[in-house]
Amino acid sequence: MGVMIEPFVDIVPSFFGTLAQGPLTLTIFLHTVIVLPMIWIYKQEKARLEQEGN
Amino acid sequence: MAKKSVWSDNRFWQRTAAWITGFASVLLIWLTFDTSGQIVMGNDADLQNGVTKRVPGPTVINYKITYEMDAKRKHEVPVIGEKEMFFGKDDWNEEEAAALLHLGKLASQTKNCMNCHTLLGNGAYYAPDLTKAWLDPAWQETGPMQAMTGKSTKEEAMAEFLQNPSKYPTHARMMPNLGITADEAKGLVAFLKHMSSIDTNGFPRNFGKIQGAVNGK
Repeated sequence: MGVMIEPFVDIVPSFFGTLAQGPLTLTIFLHTVIVLPMIWIYKQEKARLEQEGN
Repeated sequence: MAKKSVWSDNRFWQRTAAWITGFASVLLIWLTFDTSGQIVMGNDADLQNGVTKRVPGPTVINYKITYEMDAKRKHEVPVIGEKEMFFGKDDWNEEEAAALLHLGKLASQTKNCMNCHTLLGNGAYYAPDLTKAWLDPAWQETGPMQAMTGKSTKEEAMAEFLQNPSKYPTHARMMPNLGITADEAKGLVAFLKHMSSIDTNGFPRNFGKIQGAVNGK
């Protein structure tokens, strides 16, 4: 207990089995892959708007 | 002119939506193939070599199946043990076992078991969940269900009950006679035994905890 990523114990190895250790691991993963590219898109769009002189 | 914010810029939200939609699509397709791999049926060689599969091959009916607590996974898992007689033989070959399971599956569909029972999460909760019925202690040597039918083995007791359910008072809601033949009953018992050997991540969740059930107190 108290370990977020525990050793894999499921019967058939799966990437999703490793991710779905508990409610938080999957949530953190999904938020990471959604939010990080959003930050990247934000910076690109900001640069574009500045270049256009707005 | 006021400085335009990225948050009110249409292109930012379009690109974000495109990213999330695209990522979710890829994730769902990946999950579909991942699931296919998880539920592929094993074969006789896997059973002989001790290769664990979520869904074992049909010849699992030749083996004793127990339901044991897995400390790491924190729920019971079916454990395939030594050889065991099933309707008088323990050497059902792959073709025979597959044919028997197929007959049982067809019978379960023809008689619409799911109209009252639940199989692997599908069906109704009017009658007992059959996912792990084979492991129910009530059907074992010392159990009341086997004693009731007067048969000496679990499979014969179950087959006898399936052919004449209204003869045996089991439940407040008794099972009706469905005209199940001896062959169909045999197939259905094989189907139930195979189903109980499937690793369902501990589903149904309370099976091992209800009184009289496996590990029940």
